[in-house]
Amino acid sequence: MKIKLKYFASIAEAVGMSGEEMELQDDTIVSNLVEALKERFKDFEEMSNVIIAVNGAYVDPNTLLEDGDVVALFPPVSGG
Amino acid sequence: MIEITETDFSVDEVVNRIQTDKMGCIVTFVGIVRNNSNGKPVESIEIQVYEEMAVKQLDAIREEAISRFAIDDVSIVHRHGSLRVSEKIMMIAVGAGHRIEAFDACRYVIDSIKEKVPIWKKEYTPDGEFWVEGEKDE
Repeated sequence: MKIKLKYFASIAEAVGMSGEEMELQDDTIVSNLVEALKERFKDFEEMSNVIIAVNGAYVDPNTLLEDGDVVALFPPVSGG
Repeated sequence: MIEITETDFSVDEVVNRIQTDKMGCIVTFVGIVRNNSNGKPVESIEIQVYEEMAVKQLDAIREEAISRFAIDDVSIVHRHGSLRVSEKIMMIAVGAGHRIEAFDACRYVIDSIKEKVPIWKKEYTPDGEFWVEGEKDE
């Protein structure tokens, strides 16, 4: 299956892009994806505090990802 | 009403739009760009937003405030893009029959925004540019 990744704020700057597509195995859960991305981007300290949202909602780490999901990675928010 | 906009907005217009005859008060919170942060000068800020998710989160916060407190309505406006010192960043307006519920709901809404809504500030200072990350207690 294929998912869409979106990066924001300091994480987008660290990884040098605002988003990309990624192929995943069908039984991937959110925590598997986070571990893989942390390993891939281990040189960036920004990833140590990353927050994940799937399709615009905060999710449980055990959530099963589905084809076409939009997964966002971002630092703690600072709006308001 | 929920609005995310790059352009400036009028506090009066937001107040006028929410007001109804049954309201006894409208409590407002207006966030503005400070010229300092942690004791250091700030020249301007940039606000980035994950708009699709931010709108969903702001809608959910508005609905929760209306169900949790004895209030009539909530409007939230938040800007993004480049903002200079003293420009408005965002505004909350809470219309209610009575002040205590309106103040409590307004506090709940701003605290929830700082905790949950995917919006980030970058500060431009004489020492460089820095992302602000997590500031719910400020």
